[in-house]
Amino acid sequence: MSGLDDVLIGPRRPAPRRGTAPMVAAVLALLGVGVLAAGAGGAGPSAYVLNLIGQIATFGMLAVALDLIWGFAGVLSLGHGLFFAIGGYLVAMHMVKVTFLATGTPPDFMLFMGWDRLPFYYAGLESFAYTSVLVVVVAGLAAFAIGYTAFRSRVAGVYFAIITQAFVYVAMLLMFRNDTGFGGNNGMTGFTEILGQPLADRRTVAWLSGASILAAALTLGGSALLTGSRFGHMLIAIRDDEARLRFLGHDTLWIKLTVWCLSAVLAAIAGMLYVPQVGIINPRVLAPDLSIEIAVWVAIGGRGTLTGAFLGAVLVSALKFLLTAVAPDLWPFILSGLVLVVVVLLPNGLLDIRAVLASRQRRGTP
Amino acid sequence: MMGWRRRLAAGALFLLTLAATPVLADDRALSELLAPLCAGASAERVAAVDRLLDAVETGAAEPAWALRALEAVGGRRLVCAEGGVFITSGTGVIDAVTSAPGLADAVKAQGAFVDLRLRPYLDMGSAVLRLLASPGGPASGAALGELQKRAKIVPPGLIERAAAEPANAALAPGLRDVMAVAALNDPDPALRIAAIGRLAEAPSERNRTLLRDLSGDAALTSDPVVAAALADGITRIERWLTLGQVAASVYSGLSYASILFVAALGLAVIFGLMGVINLAQGELIMIGAYATFLVQEALKSVLPGLVDYYLLLAIPFAFAASGAVGIAMEVTVIRHLYRRPLMTLLATWAISLLLINLVRVTFGTQNLQFNVPPFLNGGTHVFADFIVTWNRLFAIGFALAVLAAALVVLRRTSLGMYIRAVTENRDMAGCVGVSARRIDLTAFGIGSGLAGVAGLALSPIYTVNPAMGVNFIVDAFMVVVLGGVGSIAGTAAAALGVGMINVTIEPMFGAVAAKVIVLLLIIVFIQFRPEGLFAVKGRR
Repeated sequence: MSGLDDVLIGPRRPAPRRGTAPMVAAVLALLGVGVLAAGAGGAGPSAYVLNLIGQIATFGMLAVALDLIWGFAGVLSLGHGLFFAIGGYLVAMHMVKVTFLATGTPPDFMLFMGWDRLPFYYAGLESFAYTSVLVVVVAGLAAFAIGYTAFRSRVAGVYFAIITQAFVYVAMLLMFRNDTGFGGNNGMTGFTEILGQPLADRRTVAWLSGASILAAALTLGGSALLTGSRFGHMLIAIRDDEARLRFLGHDTLWIKLTVWCLSAVLAAIAGMLYVPQVGIINPRVLAPDLSIEIAVWVAIGGRGTLTGAFLGAVLVSALKFLLTAVAPDLWPFILSGLVLVVVVLLPNGLLDIRAVLASRQRRGTP
Repeated sequence: MMGWRRRLAAGALFLLTLAATPVLADDRALSELLAPLCAGASAERVAAVDRLLDAVETGAAEPAWALRALEAVGGRRLVCAEGGVFITSGTGVIDAVTSAPGLADAVKAQGAFVDLRLRPYLDMGSAVLRLLASPGGPASGAALGELQKRAKIVPPGLIERAAAEPANAALAPGLRDVMAVAALNDPDPALRIAAIGRLAEAPSERNRTLLRDLSGDAALTSDPVVAAALADGITRIERWLTLGQVAASVYSGLSYASILFVAALGLAVIFGLMGVINLAQGELIMIGAYATFLVQEALKSVLPGLVDYYLLLAIPFAFAASGAVGIAMEVTVIRHLYRRPLMTLLATWAISLLLINLVRVTFGTQNLQFNVPPFLNGGTHVFADFIVTWNRLFAIGFALAVLAAALVVLRRTSLGMYIRAVTENRDMAGCVGVSARRIDLTAFGIGSGLAGVAGLALSPIYTVNPAMGVNFIVDAFMVVVLGGVGSIAGTAAAALGVGMINVTIEPMFGAVAAKVIVLLLIIVFIQFRPEGLFAVKGRR
């Protein structure tokens, strides 16, 4: 087999550089432990800062998930908000159910509908373990259904991106309805506790933030391992020339499906960590714009590098937090300017900036 | 009794002729006709109205004279006093029969109160008399409306006479309809059956309700012939009503499809040519609508006489504004991204964000106010309850014109030939001397301009604000995906399909469900034909 490969595709290409991802993952893990310690010890930064770091970490995790499928398999999804929302909505339902069992009254959005109990699909959601399993299963199944139908009929590239966007758009329209039991246009909010810990407590905040950072670190490290493996080489091969890989007898459908579902599940877990920290989920999460923004993080940081995707998400969302507070009218202009500059001048994102500058310099010297 | 001559042809001569009317011996008979109207139980006064109308029918009384009396009753100005019946007015009193000046002290008197039972008879009587006294006069339309409301109590003979007046020709169909409704309660079964048949020929919700009410009447349905005619009439009306509903849905589907087509055409041409999906297409539509708005405002201040035609005058401006933005996009950004189609998604999204916010900062977020020109207001009634509204017809006609223009440009001009050549095989076209880059630029400009024109066509139907483009973009993409790459026929067919499916599903399950189902259908469809409905054969 490998002999034939050598004949057909020439000598084995050198394995891609391991890159900076493991290092960044290690630093992140240290940070996560630090945050956990800060929470336990009662010292360190304020709850607000901890919460902000935790939210940004979930965005970074989401970006890494998208980079896995876009940067490595070359499949762009403009609908990853769908999976993020699946995780977010399920954990919100879990918290609503716990509150309902404690107080006996359904949340406001159900009282408005005239319901005196939770609909049947809230059954069992008071168990956090069951909720976690459900997050993985629902996100995985949804991704499988979309991916299987699309990849099987060889929908790829721009077509696939548009179809994923249509899915997230339709999901948003559905969630805007008030009769679905998911909170309608106001969404779900007013959560009080998770795993028995009050959400307002600084210790819980630190705990959630640390968990998010550790999850991001795990995602980053695991993705680095995965993409460095033989499976990762297959992904890169699909990105670069899927037709050739198919002629060589590889079933690219299942390779793509595997990484697609993995990416979706990671995004769902990020959503699950995000919602308890931000305290609300509503259909705005499913807006096509937000899903495109995830791709923007990856593009700005540099796709196919994992670290770049993570840092892009951290940079852009930190900037967004800062600027939407200081100059909300200015933010869309800065974001669109940033995207245009990166896309036109820095094809591989900001991580590319050194190489570009270097080549400019070389051209400049006679 | 028959001494009255028919000298009154038009209401304009009314007062003049009244003054000249000779006092005749049967004045007393006329006076007796009016006396019961002055006062008494409402049933008696209703009967008096009937008698008065009968007198008009037999020719014993003039319509104009009777009309004056009935209007006086309605205004509480008909007063019975010693020596006759008088009509008071602010300035004086006249004898209701002879029109001679009457007792001055009656000026202050007031006629009897008109109750709710009498009012419909008075209104109906006045309406029919008005049609007879001044046929085709300015109030005749309102009179017909009044008669249609009171169709169950009208005197058929007078209505027939009114319908026979040449000046009432325009109202004749409506009057016949009124007669038919009146004849439904006629004791003669033959007349009833004729009336049922006449109503069944003009299907509408109202006539169906009339016949249904009638079929609940046991006295009527006991006659098997009438009952059969009734049942037949109802089935016929229902058949037409169903057809009318189908026609109405097809019409609204067509208009929706037209909008989808115009919005998606530019997208499809650009996608076919360059493999670039322009996420800013919705914003180019928005810019077209804003350009239309600016043209309207400019006309208002410079040439107010032409404001009604702003939609036509704005076409070149909308095309140019969006086309210019599109060309600027192509030159500054998209040109650098031809080998990276996925990046163009992000780049055009960034441009759309930029455009939305630029417009928001310049114009504000509020919806724009468009004056709908008078020729786009209303519509025409076709049959049953199917109404063709002009603004939707405008959208359909517009889409057809755009389709024809696009086909001519692509099939009959050298530019079109180059565009098709580059779409099919970019490298080969380049080898035979077609400048692919120049074609790209031109096509991008045209595709963007088409979006601008779509914005113009949308402005009288939809709300226009900076974020309007977002609503179209996903639907337009679905049309492009379904229609296949770069095929105008495919785009048209897909728009038609999506539009029709949408209007079929929407009344059953609601708008959101319709979108979900259309999307799922498209996904299923792509399983079988990944290249879309009309795939262009080409190598890429």
